Amino acid sequence: MPISQAFFQRSNALLLAVGIAVLVVIVATSLWLTAASERYFGEVTAARAVRSASADLLSLVQDAETGQRGFLLTRDESYLEPYTAAVSRLADQRVRLEQAAARLREVDPILQRVTGALDRKMAELAATVQATRQGDVEAATALVRSGTGKRLMDELRADLNAIVATSETELREAIDAQLTASNRLRWTTIIGAVLILAMAGAASWTIISYTRELVAARREVEVLNIGLEERVRQRTDALVKANEEVQRFAYIVTHDLRAPLVNIMGFTSELEAMFKPIDAYVEAGAAASPEQKAAAEEALRVDVAEAIGFIRSSTRKMDGLINAILKISREGRRELRAESVDLAALIETAAGAVHHQASAEEDGGIAVDSQVPRIVSDRLSLDQIMGNLLDNAIKYRAPDRPIRIAVRTRRERRGWVTIEIEDNGRGIAASDHERVFELFRRSGAQNTAGEGIGLAHVRTMVRNLGGDIAVRSELGKGTTFTVTLPPDLAAYRRSAEA
Amino acid sequence: MTNGKPVSIIMIEDDEGHARLIEKNIRRAGVSNEIIPFANGTDALDYLFGPDGSGAVSAGRQLLILLDLNLPDMGGVDILEKVKANTHTRRSPVVVLTTTDDSREIQRCYDLGANVYITKPVDYDGFANAIRQLGLFFSVIQVPETP
Repeated sequence: MPISQAFFQRSNALLLAVGIAVLVVIVATSLWLTAASERYFGEVTAARAVRSASADLLSLVQDAETGQRGFLLTRDESYLEPYTAAVSRLADQRVRLEQAAARLREVDPILQRVTGALDRKMAELAATVQATRQGDVEAATALVRSGTGKRLMDELRADLNAIVATSETELREAIDAQLTASNRLRWTTIIGAVLILAMAGAASWTIISYTRELVAARREVEVLNIGLEERVRQRTDALVKANEEVQRFAYIVTHDLRAPLVNIMGFTSELEAMFKPIDAYVEAGAAASPEQKAAAEEALRVDVAEAIGFIRSSTRKMDGLINAILKISREGRRELRAESVDLAALIETAAGAVHHQASAEEDGGIAVDSQVPRIVSDRLSLDQIMGNLLDNAIKYRAPDRPIRIAVRTRRERRGWVTIEIEDNGRGIAASDHERVFELFRRSGAQNTAGEGIGLAHVRTMVRNLGGDIAVRSELGKGTTFTVTLPPDLAAYRRSAEA
Repeated sequence: MTNGKPVSIIMIEDDEGHARLIEKNIRRAGVSNEIIPFANGTDALDYLFGPDGSGAVSAGRQLLILLDLNLPDMGGVDILEKVKANTHTRRSPVVVLTTTDDSREIQRCYDLGANVYITKPVDYDGFANAIRQLGLFFSVIQVPETP
């Protein structure tokens, strides 16, 4: 798939934007999840603090009770030690629990009850200790026996254990939540990384493809550049050739037009001279001598007739030359029509038109080998080219052998079409191979009628079609004309104009 | 001409009118040598070199060649080249008489051994004059017998 520059820029910008968005999402999610994790960690800490504070408080109350029981039994102050220590630390411990529980709202109602029960328990303990110290052991024992202390203690134990249980549940939940959060964080990071890698991969692919295409395009431009130089060279060659041809043409035309002109002027002057004896004879009238009469008659009947004959033939020749030049110049101006032409059929038709002349003799004939069925070119020009070349092949036959003509078409490199017309005629001397294509020039014995126009005309037409014509011949053996044409005249003209 | 042997003037000129005018003016200059006209190169070469093309037929002839460069069947330059390359004909003077005054062509003809190059003027007085002077020139030059 070719990548246009606009597509490349758009897709790269899009990939970049998507990549940045993914990155932003990852960073935001990470921040959010980290914050959540921190919050869960705080909850864990708080739950732990509540747990340890309530456990410590319970143990402190138990210590106080233990001290109270020992003192009741022994009435020895030293056994009261745990009680006094517990009482002195209790206030702190209660504050710790309340502070810790501030982060754990669920335990508030229990804590209210604990506070009340604790106050009453401590008051009961203080009352028994007070009574014992005053020596009223009976009252103290009665107080203990009443069971108020035990009931309060049971309540406290149950409530504090409930707080521990709640905080433990809380702890577990917080730990679970933290695990989930970190799991999420991990997955977000993994998915984000995969997405970013995919974006980077896609961007790299686009860049690599685009670069590869740029390299290919540059290579193509280089190839075109080389082709361009080649084409400029070909065009220049063609121009030089055409220029030489125009010069040669102008030279031939001026020379050939001058030749009859020399005749016309020469014989006109001769005519003037011829009228002198006639004039003398007329002047003399009846007194004219027989010599004068004979000279006048000779001039009038022979010389004048000859001079007029030459003047007339010269003007006719000039007219013929001018017509031929006009014909060729018109051919050069004629609008060519590029159309699909059935080349094989066209050659068959052209061959058919001269077939009777070629096959009148034994062994004679025209063999056609068509390997190119169609060509896009000007039909009329092709007709005339084939007709002219086949006519020539028959006209300039070798009189001592039957006419054999072979027409071959084949495809050359870059699709160009080659038409070969080979004959076994009298051939053309090597020195005349270029000359036969020139206007009014002919080659070999002048034993057939002709003006020297046919091949000049054929070459003009072939070149108008974008092709060229060449000749290969050996005197006395035969001649091969090779016409090379572009496969598509319309395309050729487009590229020639480009 | 001078040594009493008849010198033949070979006139190779495809234009009948030119041939006739040249002949008239040569005669007018008082030259009465035989003029053998050829209207094309093939016939002229047949005469000069014989059917075998060796040129042996010209042995012993005294020839002066008047040559037009623009012939229908071959270039006059080719004939000049052949004449000057053949042992039997190379000493025969060749007068190139043509309508072109292309300097390169004139040079080429002299390089190939042409003895005189004359451009046919279009105005008849000039033409007649040139031919008559050529006739005077013919009457004084020495033409060797071809070996």
